[in-house]
Amino acid sequence: MSDIVISARGVQKSYGSNHVLQGLNCEVGKGITGLLGPNGAGKSTFMGLILGLRPRQGGKLKVLGVDPDRSGPELRTRLGYAPEHHDLPGDVQAADLVRHIAQLHGLPRRVATERASNALWQVGLGEERFRPIGTMSTGQRQRVKMAQALAHDPDLLLLDEPTDGLDPVQRDDMLALIRRVGSEFGIDILLSSHLLEEVERVCDSVVILANGMVGHSGTLQDLGAAASGFKVELDSDPEPLAAALVARGAAAAVDGHSLIVSGVDSASDLIRDLVADLGLGLRRLEPRRTTLEDVFIEASQ
Amino acid sequence: MTEARIHDRGYMAYDGPRHGPGRAMANLSYHTVQRVLGLKRSNWQKVLPAIALLISFIPAIVFIGIAAFLPRGDELGLESSADYYGFITGALFLFAAFVAPEAVCTDRRSGMLGLYLASPLSRDTYLVAKAAAIAAVLGTMTLGPPLLMLIAYTLADAGPDGVSGWLAELGRILASGAALAVFWTALSLAVSSLTSRRSLASVGIFVGLLASSAVGDGLTQGADLHDSYALFNLVGLPFEAVFRIFGEGDPEGAPLGEVDTWPIFATLIGLIAAFGAFARWRYQRIEVAG
Repeated sequence: MSDIVISARGVQKSYGSNHVLQGLNCEVGKGITGLLGPNGAGKSTFMGLILGLRPRQGGKLKVLGVDPDRSGPELRTRLGYAPEHHDLPGDVQAADLVRHIAQLHGLPRRVATERASNALWQVGLGEERFRPIGTMSTGQRQRVKMAQALAHDPDLLLLDEPTDGLDPVQRDDMLALIRRVGSEFGIDILLSSHLLEEVERVCDSVVILANGMVGHSGTLQDLGAAASGFKVELDSDPEPLAAALVARGAAAAVDGHSLIVSGVDSASDLIRDLVADLGLGLRRLEPRRTTLEDVFIEASQ
Repeated sequence: MTEARIHDRGYMAYDGPRHGPGRAMANLSYHTVQRVLGLKRSNWQKVLPAIALLISFIPAIVFIGIAAFLPRGDELGLESSADYYGFITGALFLFAAFVAPEAVCTDRRSGMLGLYLASPLSRDTYLVAKAAAIAAVLGTMTLGPPLLMLIAYTLADAGPDGVSGWLAELGRILASGAALAVFWTALSLAVSSLTSRRSLASVGIFVGLLASSAVGDGLTQGADLHDSYALFNLVGLPFEAVFRIFGEGDPEGAPLGEVDTWPIFATLIGLIAAFGAFARWRYQRIEVAG
């Protein structure tokens, strides 16, 4: 089985004169992938194309090996989707809703009933499963949405802002649940979010959308390893140290009281020696790591 | 004795059979019928559908009861099953305007439409499933009582003469009931597709029907134009079609009395198609989450 879950090549989508996706290229592999981007970047539109809710205007898109435009109903049998909104029918019991959605995804009634109950236990609503959704908190509703997306055992789970509206404790619980679904349950996940920290916490990979295109995509592991050089933090003006480093052939960029140093071998030794020679106070010297925030800002510009 | 506890229920993958979109449509229709009838909901939600069903069935039960003592149906003032629909116009109106919008408006308002369209259902199959659910309940109201009466009259030896007469009556009942159910379903869906608020859809259907009735009557009786202008009357048109199915014209002097049968059928079919096409057009354009 291919390791590519979603493959997009030159995908385009417009609404009138508004070109939301302008030739989007990316590959989403197995595991948990974060779909990041500022508002209006095209995250929801891309999710809609993956689900086959909207036809694209150009390019190629394969989800689990099939084209959503051509095989939407068959594909959606294998997808689970938890939307962003919190509205669910208030007078329906959680177990009834989850069973109903599982049946729509092709499960026989008895199996759907069993799996609905099990999914609600898995998301921590086992004792609450016969409560009307209207009496539940925002956090519980988010869990109901997760349960209805899980009950039919999808191959790919699409989560749209799953922590929206949750307090910090509920958020931690939800992120732990997502991590568990992705690792223990073996279900691939595409997680749309605008919160970098939660993507860093639970995702294996990231796709950053900006202006209707992919600004960056790759694994978070590669992201951390991609950077080179050192970050130096002083308790005084770093300009003298920067000048001394440049004089010895290094590249040094000043950022407040910090310096980003690269371009020389044994940079740490050189920095240590120069700091000592110049009599500067060294607060921190560490290998430079590119953060998701760095990439996000760069991709968004 | 040791204490046993379940610490983790674990996750079970599912490798069993899966039904296709056809079963999903049937499931959605079944679920929708439950919702519009108020099943598994509060008692308040059951009131209107219960009233509509009672209004549609009670006259039939009364007629059947009387027929048990007066063996000739025509002595009841009920010359044919076509007459019966006059008794249940209010029930059909009530259901189409105030109950049926629940089938679709709430899905949009509650976000369920997004979940449905993220399932194997498409916009078209969703709409067909919803239409089937509304038509099934309306069909129960339009077909159930006349069929019940046909069977009861036949058992009381007051039914149509001969097998061919009986089958012809059955055919006319099925055609009439289906025509009424489909017309009111299409009308209700078309108006409900305009809004996510059930109350607005109800007002829209109510006002639309009253307005069409006023326009039709105004043009024929007020402005004294030809009877064909009464085709604008959406309340009268389907019932006139029923009279024609039973081979009866509207009483003399009534709207559409001078109009041939084929324009009435053509208008009815055209309206059903137009309402259906409009609802489909609307649903192709509704933005859902995702």
